[in-house]
Amino acid sequence: MTKWLKPIASLRFTVVLLSLSMVLVLAGTLAQVNHGVWTVVDDYFRSPLVYIKFQLFFPSTIQKIPGGILFPGGLTLGLLLMINLLAAHLVRFRFTWKRAGSLITHFGVIVLIIGEFVTGVAAKEGKMAIFEGGSSNFTEDNRSVELAIIDPSPTDHDRVTVIPGSKLAGARGALTDPRLPFGIRVEQWMPNSQILGPMQATPDQLARATDGLGTQMAATPAPQATGVDNKNDLPAAYVTLLDDSGPVGTYLATVWFTQPQTVTVGGKQYYLQLRFTRSYKPYTIHLIDFKHDKFVGTEMARNYSSLVRLEDPSRNVDRQVLIYMNHPLRYAGETFYQASFMEGDTGTVLQVVRNPGWMLPYVSCTLVTVGMLMHFGLRLTTFVRRQNR
Amino acid sequence: MRIRLLVPIAAVVLALLYLVPQLAPRPTDSQFDLEAFGRIPVSAEGRIKPLDTVARNTLMRFGGKQTIRDDGRKIPAIEWLADLLSHRTSPANPSTTVAASLPIFRIDHPDLLDLLGVTPEQKKNRFSFDELFAHRDAITRQAGLAFQVDAKKRGPYQRRIVGLYDTLSRYIALSRYDTPYAVPPLTANEQWRPLGEMLMDGSAGSDEAAASLTAIFNAYAAQNSGEFNDAVADYLRLVRADLPGATRKAGYETLFNRMTPFYHASALYVYAFLLSSFAFMLTSLSKPDWARALGRGAIAVLVLAFFIHTIGIISRIYLQGRPPVTNLYSSAVFIGWICVMLGFVIEKLFRLGIGTIAAAAIGFVTLVIAHNLSSGGDTMEMMQAVLDSNFWLSTHVVCITIGYSATFLAGFLGITYILLGVLTPVLKPDRAKALARMIYGVICFAALMSFVGTVLGGIWADQSWGRFWGWDPKENGAALIVIWLLIILHARWGEMVRERGVAVLAVAGNIVTSWSWFGTNMLGVGLHSYGFTDSAVFWMLTFATSQLAIMALGMLPIALWRSTGVRAINQRSPTPRVATTSA
Repeated sequence: MTKWLKPIASLRFTVVLLSLSMVLVLAGTLAQVNHGVWTVVDDYFRSPLVYIKFQLFFPSTIQKIPGGILFPGGLTLGLLLMINLLAAHLVRFRFTWKRAGSLITHFGVIVLIIGEFVTGVAAKEGKMAIFEGGSSNFTEDNRSVELAIIDPSPTDHDRVTVIPGSKLAGARGALTDPRLPFGIRVEQWMPNSQILGPMQATPDQLARATDGLGTQMAATPAPQATGVDNKNDLPAAYVTLLDDSGPVGTYLATVWFTQPQTVTVGGKQYYLQLRFTRSYKPYTIHLIDFKHDKFVGTEMARNYSSLVRLEDPSRNVDRQVLIYMNHPLRYAGETFYQASFMEGDTGTVLQVVRNPGWMLPYVSCTLVTVGMLMHFGLRLTTFVRRQNR
Repeated sequence: MRIRLLVPIAAVVLALLYLVPQLAPRPTDSQFDLEAFGRIPVSAEGRIKPLDTVARNTLMRFGGKQTIRDDGRKIPAIEWLADLLSHRTSPANPSTTVAASLPIFRIDHPDLLDLLGVTPEQKKNRFSFDELFAHRDAITRQAGLAFQVDAKKRGPYQRRIVGLYDTLSRYIALSRYDTPYAVPPLTANEQWRPLGEMLMDGSAGSDEAAASLTAIFNAYAAQNSGEFNDAVADYLRLVRADLPGATRKAGYETLFNRMTPFYHASALYVYAFLLSSFAFMLTSLSKPDWARALGRGAIAVLVLAFFIHTIGIISRIYLQGRPPVTNLYSSAVFIGWICVMLGFVIEKLFRLGIGTIAAAAIGFVTLVIAHNLSSGGDTMEMMQAVLDSNFWLSTHVVCITIGYSATFLAGFLGITYILLGVLTPVLKPDRAKALARMIYGVICFAALMSFVGTVLGGIWADQSWGRFWGWDPKENGAALIVIWLLIILHARWGEMVRERGVAVLAVAGNIVTSWSWFGTNMLGVGLHSYGFTDSAVFWMLTFATSQLAIMALGMLPIALWRSTGVRAINQRSPTPRVATTSA
């Protein structure tokens, strides 16, 4: 057993893995010049394998460097480092006070890797946008969209059916579902789009939609956002609604339109909207006041803050909270951060994060600090004692 | 025996002979109390600062200097600002003002010079406002074209023409009193206001402060020194009564500007470096008494330099009300300071003179870097809202910066090991062993501070936007340093590298650290990036190349090293010992 473990537990293996990690982190940084940070995180740091193009390591002025290399991704390297670490301690485990610091440090590192893994798997992020005086009970994930078909006919509620954007993107033929009142055919899917106003769009572009807002405005595909732009994609789709007798009409659905459009199928009215994927909450947040202070004589933000009222009948909660920079609200396993604001300071945008692993980095940091201080402190005192002798 | 005391005393006396006259207030032949004028507090770029700072920063921005040379006369920044704000007519040419005819703008780009009708043979790179304004149509047209290109995609010429346009606008805004916001709030619920706006809407006459400011400018324009001095004194009394704190700080900042502590500290670091290098040479020439005496002299001068450096840092902390590191400029100042402190610790432990050399050299270089980073204007600018947290600035940022410092120090010691070993015979085995120990110890410290600093940064990010680790370039840069240090430590523990291997790897640490410190900003990605200039890219590449060259030197076959004593330790033993984690 030990014989078999030895190469896996060797320091040489550690050094190799750490060196590979350096290359990966560097490549993952350089890749952000042309790709969105989330694409990079998924491709480089949370994947088992990644193809790294050599072009990455050259400035954009030197184009067309051919080739690349298949490289272990963050998932593989993290896992291997963990195995290496555990094996090393299994093979050489011998508790002495001299080694206690090293043990604690390495345990802290394991906690850190687990923390990043838990975050990668379980963390959920969303944004909650609320106008002053308004309220909201859902968050939107601006990295994915859904097509919502709303049937307002029931008197006490709306019947909402949603189709995830991923389904629209890969759709071949018509999408049908017993829950849907009609079939949907995706004519064109745009992961990121540009919107053209009535004066900008050509008649051909406006003719792509037969009904709704798409007859006045058109969408064209845009390159997907990169880490440099610090923006997110704004998808759009041309969809044709089909009833039993065939096409009813082609509509432009896009997140550029903040209000649903009315569509009539079989004499009945529905609302149609492409929106960022929503998740509904058992609580409601009312925005009482949003403040955006600037430094005198500049456009530079000094502070943003949102005074909100948190109302959760299921937990008998109804209280006021002030959320501002570096002072989030933690509630019901979720954390609310002051993230952004609406144009003209008319409302706030809160980042809402559920991360079951959020405590782990704190634990890790404490362990590693204590461990390293013990380890290096012990060495230093031994050394100084020897030096003074 | 006597030289033990005499040499250090002589060294310090020499340093003081340089220092004291520099710090004493300079006598001026001017009858105008411009020093007092410079203490007038105004609000600019979001903070309250004295006019003296506005004058210096503006000139730095325009021409990279804080004084103007005109016909052999040195004009201080504040005098130029007084000329500008008073619109004093030029005695030589009544159709223009003094300020507009002074050569304060520096332009180097050949295409821009071409635009201004200057040929390279004329060797002219300094221009007055009048000279530039004569070309306003061409400049406006070119800048207009460049403005249509996305800021990130502009070429060097476009960036410079936009820069020139901004510079001229800034000058005009100053001369029209649009900036700074000069009129203070004398009652509660008031804000700082620009004087220009109040002159336009006619409210300047009825406002005590605005009227008083106008009186100062008028007196200066008429060159009436008595009236000017009285008006300035009256004005300072007025603002002191209502804004005592701001006035006191502005006064202190003026003093701080005049003292230029970082400049003097860097001069003393050069002196300490020469002394300590000389001492080190003498040790090698077996003149122990003189070497020790000079070494003590070097330490004494270093202490003096460090003291002045410290005063500078404390002054900035007081003026800003912030922890020491708030931007790139202050990080350079702080890295130098920490390296000097670590140099003292090393010197105390090893007493070889190497700690002093390293401290003095890094102290000097970082202050020069800081000086070059200050040309962007105010080095005490306000913080973005998300960074507005003294707790995290003083924990995460300070830890990370200490980590940078220690990694650079280890790199410097690595360079010392390689250069002494390859080029000279003086790297004796015991000295080599001590140097290797220093490198190792500093790397351990660097690993601790970098790791803790990086994780604290993650925790800050978790506090402010709910993401512990976002794989942002600056975060990755910090992670690279940590991983690199861990590689060195584990390679050493596993006996994959010996003394010189650690030295070579430590030098590579310099490249990794400079990448994290500067390189990631050049990518223009991520929440952490500050603005950046082209020349920084050039200097970083030069630095990286030089470090690679030193590493190559260090990897020469050990038989070629001139220090023969270190061969044995760095050669592979025929039967490698079994690797263990306990080193």
